Amino acid sequence: MTDEREITLTVNGTEHTIEVEPRRLLVHAIREDLDMTGTHIGCDTGNCGACTVLRDGEPIKSCMMFATQADGSEILTVEGMEDLPEAGPELHPLQEGFKEEHGLQCGYCTPGMLMAGKALLDENPDPEEPEIRDAISGNLCRCTGYQNIVSSIEYAAEELEEKAA
Amino acid sequence: MSSEPDLTAEPEEHQHADDGGPQPEKHCGHGRGGMGEEVTRKEDKRFITGRGNYVDDIKKPGMLHCEIVRSPHAHARIEDIDGSRAMALDGVVAVLTADDLLEHDLATMPTLMDDTQDVLVNDKVKFQSQEVAAVIAEDRYTAKDAAEKVEVEYDVLEPVVDAEEALEDDAPLIRDELDDQEDNHIFDWETGDKEATQEVFDEAAVTVEEQMEYQRLHPAPIETCGAVADWDPGKDKMTVHMTSQAPHAHRTLFSQVSGIPEHKVRIVSPDVGGGFGNKVPIYPGYVVAAAASYVLEQPVKWIEERSENIQTTGFARDYDMTGEIAATEDGVIQGVKVDVLANHGAYNAAAQPSKFPAGFFNIFTGSYDVDAAYGSLTGAFTNTAPGGVAYRCSFRVTEAVYLIERMVKVLADELDVDPAEIRRRNFIPSDAFPYESATGWNYDSGDYEKALDKALEMADYEHYREEQQRRIAEDADKLIGIGISSFTEVVGAGPGKQCDIAGIEMFDSADLRVNPTGNAVLRIGVQTQGQGHETTFAQIVAEELGMDVDDITVEHGDTDTEPYGLGTYGSRSTPVAGAAAAVAARKVRDKAKSIAANELEAAEEDIEWDRESGEFHVAGAPDRSITITEIAAGAYMNSPGNEEPGLEAVNYYDPPEMTYPFGSYIVVVEVDRETGEVDFEKFVAVDDCGNRINPMIIEGQIHGGLAQGIGTAMLEHVTYDDNGNVTGGDFMNYLLPTANEIPNFETGHTVTPSPHHPIGAKGVGESPTVGSPPAIVNAVVDAMSHAGTSHVEMPMTPDTVWEELDEVGLSISPSENVSFEFDDGASEEPADD
Repeated sequence: MTDEREITLTVNGTEHTIEVEPRRLLVHAIREDLDMTGTHIGCDTGNCGACTVLRDGEPIKSCMMFATQADGSEILTVEGMEDLPEAGPELHPLQEGFKEEHGLQCGYCTPGMLMAGKALLDENPDPEEPEIRDAISGNLCRCTGYQNIVSSIEYAAEELEEKAA
Repeated sequence: MSSEPDLTAEPEEHQHADDGGPQPEKHCGHGRGGMGEEVTRKEDKRFITGRGNYVDDIKKPGMLHCEIVRSPHAHARIEDIDGSRAMALDGVVAVLTADDLLEHDLATMPTLMDDTQDVLVNDKVKFQSQEVAAVIAEDRYTAKDAAEKVEVEYDVLEPVVDAEEALEDDAPLIRDELDDQEDNHIFDWETGDKEATQEVFDEAAVTVEEQMEYQRLHPAPIETCGAVADWDPGKDKMTVHMTSQAPHAHRTLFSQVSGIPEHKVRIVSPDVGGGFGNKVPIYPGYVVAAAASYVLEQPVKWIEERSENIQTTGFARDYDMTGEIAATEDGVIQGVKVDVLANHGAYNAAAQPSKFPAGFFNIFTGSYDVDAAYGSLTGAFTNTAPGGVAYRCSFRVTEAVYLIERMVKVLADELDVDPAEIRRRNFIPSDAFPYESATGWNYDSGDYEKALDKALEMADYEHYREEQQRRIAEDADKLIGIGISSFTEVVGAGPGKQCDIAGIEMFDSADLRVNPTGNAVLRIGVQTQGQGHETTFAQIVAEELGMDVDDITVEHGDTDTEPYGLGTYGSRSTPVAGAAAAVAARKVRDKAKSIAANELEAAEEDIEWDRESGEFHVAGAPDRSITITEIAAGAYMNSPGNEEPGLEAVNYYDPPEMTYPFGSYIVVVEVDRETGEVDFEKFVAVDDCGNRINPMIIEGQIHGGLAQGIGTAMLEHVTYDDNGNVTGGDFMNYLLPTANEIPNFETGHTVTPSPHHPIGAKGVGESPTVGSPPAIVNAVVDAMSHAGTSHVEMPMTPDTVWEELDEVGLSISPSENVSFEFDDGASEEPADD
């Protein structure tokens, strides 16, 4: 292809240098160039949030950013969660919460939801229910009716608080 | 037989505590993860770690990408298609048109309703975004570039998107390629006894009538439809990984359409990111990908975008209904009449059993003991996308339940009787089951009053009725409305003599193999799209064989290895394949008994099965016992002479009847007279799906279905303008509820087992979406009914509601101190609107 640029993305702690066209969306770079397919695509208008990742700690919809714009960033995807310092031996408390509270069904929105939940808890470790609902309002779920997702994030908040104590 | 579950036992009832806190112990009951235990899901781990395997995650060597060129017009003749500029682009491998498909007889495909749909159009496009050509390229960006460069010359024709207009004499003829089609009329259908019903209406003391539209919706699973087709010329075998709710039926159809023998076609439905009925039909994209792979001898991936999904794949509803009820002065319903105009789009591609052109719509007498009923329905072609049966509809039961539950509210208001009371007066009594309805359905079991009583109590009904009156008396700015829906579902299609999909009877299947070391693999003919089959089907086997749920793997979706089944839709998995799993497990148990006798050195007739301990033991000597793990070893290492070695069984289950779960939902809303905004104060759902396999999973199904019911009632609508442009065709315009629009639900249940089902279980997945929209609309109507409102159309957006408020004189001007506040997410009020 024409006009490819070399960019560096640090994804889940590992540095990757790839060549991409300027128009290549970050979500495609993550899924197709780096083969991390946990991050999903659910729409073409920036509404669904299935592609949510953390870029330098901030939740972004990776379908709304070109890969070149993320050059030099630190990116966290769902695949990196279990290796985070606050994760348990197998899973991150958020992942545990989603399993224990049945916060997922088809699983397609789950990676984006986990990222939105992580971003919230990083900023506010003890959120009220309306704050949780607001924090995930950019993430559409068609299966759960959200109630158990809220419980899942509350579960994680409690777990994280216990660990910190 | 002592080993059968006791279906008559008084079930334990409990209301789930919505405390949101972690549940300390998920395994209860026998502790092995059998029936009734809140087993956490086996499938979760891969999804929460990003290790699911959905269609777009598949990458194959040499894989090409397919992009569809779509029509900008709703109705236009194609004069010319020129793909030369597209072909000239680097990386473009092929541009396919109908002419290329014609060579392989693939330019059209049969629908599930005996119609034929264009795969790619070479004559006339019939709805906007219809498939006209396809570009195959080395990567998806190039494919998109190339699709832009395919030049199509159109002669634009007048479109018609409204079903009523489509049936007018001077309407443009949409299907002029069909020899015997002179207008846009598809079919007429009727049910019940017209004369008897008319007699009842002629003599009735009270009659009410209301016209209502069930607007066009879309299931919009978060994962769109897609496929990776891979023709292997070495093996002459076509493998298609695709978003399929019915992989076996799709294999048969693929084989019939393509001419490739069925044993040379493998359909794999991997992890599917939600289906909701959207992934039952075969779409042109699948066929194009398969045809391209066949011609190019390389794997071809086709993944549609969201707007393509909403604009071209199976929509839901679009029924324009007129309902009538005849009743006594006391509100005893005597007759129900329904007349429907159904918009089916440009092709009749509704995904339903072939003998049911209006699905199971004739369940419209609902939960009520009705003497006479009659329904008539006309289907029409329009210049819109095909579909109709999808989105948790159970084959048009959503429409039927909406109709009757709205009409009961209309009747209650006409007679000034409490809507709960009027239901009570008309319920089919619990001792009348099995009950044959006036339209011929044979309801298996029910105790409707019990479910309603429970819901009324949970909803604090009397309190809200008082609060409602207080607000009216005080001329308050915000009105209270209370809506009820006491519905009966019909799920588990179905008995093979009545129900078939493209000729194949609607049985389902399970194949259970126990390994020498005592664990097992269960293969099923249904296909989960998130409903938790990998967990719940293992629970059924765990219960039947006394195994630990963790020792059972459930596999689904691969037609090379799974037994033939009809797939998952219409809440049929538990009724049909769930039954098959139990029956297969019981076959294994029967054989295990023989092996147990051999191992315990006792006569087979002296061996007893103890469901509690999950062991076989010698009668009168409980300590001489053996578990399935030990029996499995015996089956392979010490098989008795009278049995084949090994321990496995298959069951293909032809259900004797459908299952009829039911429920009562109560919704309390607050309607703002200034803005027309509707807030949910309380949302109570009591469901009865018979014996419950996994309460946690049922509750998740209920939550999700209720959220879709709220989407239906408040937000969602696929709209078209007069030129046939889809104006509600993406997530900017087709609004799905977010966490901020959905309240916390309070769920409860009763247990009335299905007497004909092996484990007394009924389906439930679609109940919440079937049952909730009328409860929500009834609530909003109820808030205004004292002023004369009898109906509000869905979606009940603030402007729709405000217009009705204004119409009946309830609207008020904005208060003087109005200010625009932006919610920063930190308000104290629950954000539950």
